[in-house]
Amino acid sequence: MSVRTILHIDMNAFFAAVEQQSDPALRDKPVAVIGSGARTIITTCSYEARAFGVKTGMTVYEAKRLCPTLIMVVGNNRKYTDTSTGIINIFRDYTPLVEVFSIDEAFLDVSGCLKIFGSAIRISMLIKACIYQKYGLTCSVGIAPNKLLAKLASDMQKPDGLTIIAPDKISETLEELPIEELCGIGSKTQQKLNMLGITTCGQLGRFPVKTLKKRFGIIGERLQRMGLGLDDTPVIPTTGDETVKTVGHSTTLPSDIDNRDEICRWLLRLAEMVGCRARRYNVAGRTVTLTIRYSDFTTFSSQESCDDSLSQSHEIYRAAVAILDRLKLEQPVRLLGVKLSNLRERDSQYHLFPEVRKYEQLTEAVDTVNDRFGSFSVTYGSSLDRQKNAKVISPAWRPEGLRNIDVE
Amino acid sequence: MQQINTQIRVGAIFESGRAIRPVWFDWQRQKYTVTEITYRWQELSGDTKILHFSVSDGKDLFELTFDTDRQSWSLTGIEPGQ
Repeated sequence: MSVRTILHIDMNAFFAAVEQQSDPALRDKPVAVIGSGARTIITTCSYEARAFGVKTGMTVYEAKRLCPTLIMVVGNNRKYTDTSTGIINIFRDYTPLVEVFSIDEAFLDVSGCLKIFGSAIRISMLIKACIYQKYGLTCSVGIAPNKLLAKLASDMQKPDGLTIIAPDKISETLEELPIEELCGIGSKTQQKLNMLGITTCGQLGRFPVKTLKKRFGIIGERLQRMGLGLDDTPVIPTTGDETVKTVGHSTTLPSDIDNRDEICRWLLRLAEMVGCRARRYNVAGRTVTLTIRYSDFTTFSSQESCDDSLSQSHEIYRAAVAILDRLKLEQPVRLLGVKLSNLRERDSQYHLFPEVRKYEQLTEAVDTVNDRFGSFSVTYGSSLDRQKNAKVISPAWRPEGLRNIDVE
Repeated sequence: MQQINTQIRVGAIFESGRAIRPVWFDWQRQKYTVTEITYRWQELSGDTKILHFSVSDGKDLFELTFDTDRQSWSLTGIEPGQ
C-alpha cells in the first residue's frame, strides 16, 4: 500500500474565536461561550481564558472563580454551523476526500492532489491563509501518513500550528508519548493499560498482542497497532447520503421537573423534532428510545419496538409516553431525550383507512409550511409555551444530510 | 448584546459577485456609518435566506440582518462599546 498523506485540521477554540472576530472588544480577552439557559456550563473558551485554567464543561461559577475577568458570551449555534460549512467548503477546494469529524475538525486525504498543489505543507498553508482571510480564524494542522497520527500532530501545536509526523519519525515520536495522547484511548482504557504497566505508546507497541487481546478482546490488536502508529482507516468523505442509524434529540430542561404533564409537553416537542427530521429525509423507525437524566446526573434509557415503522410525530410521542408510564421516576428530571432507531426508508403505500390518510396529509401540509417559514411555525398548541432552551450542537452534526440538524 | 429587532433603512453596496456590504444605516433619527464589518454569516429560516452582519461604527457593535426574501433590513442587536 502506498504511503498516504492525511491532514487533520482543528479550528482553534472555534466558538470563542468566532465571537472574538464578531466583536473586536472581545479580542485578546478571556472569553467563554455559554448556553442561554439558567443552568448553562462553559461550552468552550478562548486561549486567554484557558491560561487561567478555565475548561469546557465547568460551571459558570467555577470558571468565574478561576478568572474573575472572564467575559461570558451566549453562543450562537447557527453562526457556528454556517462558519463550519464555509470552512469545510474551503477544504473541498483542495480534495474531495474530506471527512468531517466534528463541527470544528476534519480529516483530508490529499494523497491524490499533491502534484496539483505541490506539497501537503503548501496545501496546509493555503487553507490556513484562506480561512484566516475569510473568517479571521486560525487552525492547527497535522500532517501524517494516517488519521491517527494526523490528529496527534494537530494537537501538538496550538494555536495556529502546523506539525508534520513524517513516516521515518513515527517510532521516535511515539516512543515516550503518553498513551492518553492518542485519539481513541479514553480514561478507562488508559487505566486498564496502566494496570498492565503500559504508560507510553512505545510500551504499547511492544506489548504482546496476545495479552492485549485477552484483556481487551477484539480491540486488543488495534490498540497495539495504535502504539506502533499504524492506522489504515480511510478518510470517508462526508456526502450527506451516508446511512444514519438513528434520529434523536435531547434537551436539558430549564429546571428539574417531576410533573408528568410537564414532562409530556417536553416529549411532544422532542417527538416533533425527531419526526420532522425523519420525514424530511424519508426514513421511519420501529424503535423509540426515551432517555432520562435525573437531577443527580444518573442517566438511563428505555426503549420500545413497534410492529410498524413510525415517522409521524404523534406516534413517536405516544411511544415515548408509553415508555415513560412504565417507569417509576425516582427523582426530578433534568434532561429528556427521544430517539428513533431501527430505521428504514418510509413506504409510500396508500393507506386503507381515510383517517390515517387525512393525518398524513395534515402532517405533510404542516411540514410544507414549516419548511417554508421555519421550524415550529405550525406546531401543537400544547407545546407552544415551551421555552426555547440553550442548545448544544450535537457531535454528530454534519454540514449536509440527515445529520444537518437545524440548530437553535 | 441588547436585542432591538426593528426594521431600519440601510445603504448597502451590492458588490460584484454575490457579496453585500452595508455602508450606513439610520436608527432613531441618527445616521451611523459602518467603519468595519467584523463578521458575516447566513442562516435559513424556512426557505428564506437571512444574511447577518456584525458591524461597527468605530464605537459600538451592531447586528444587522438582511431578509433576502422580503428584501428588508433589520437592526437585531447592539453591543455598546466599552
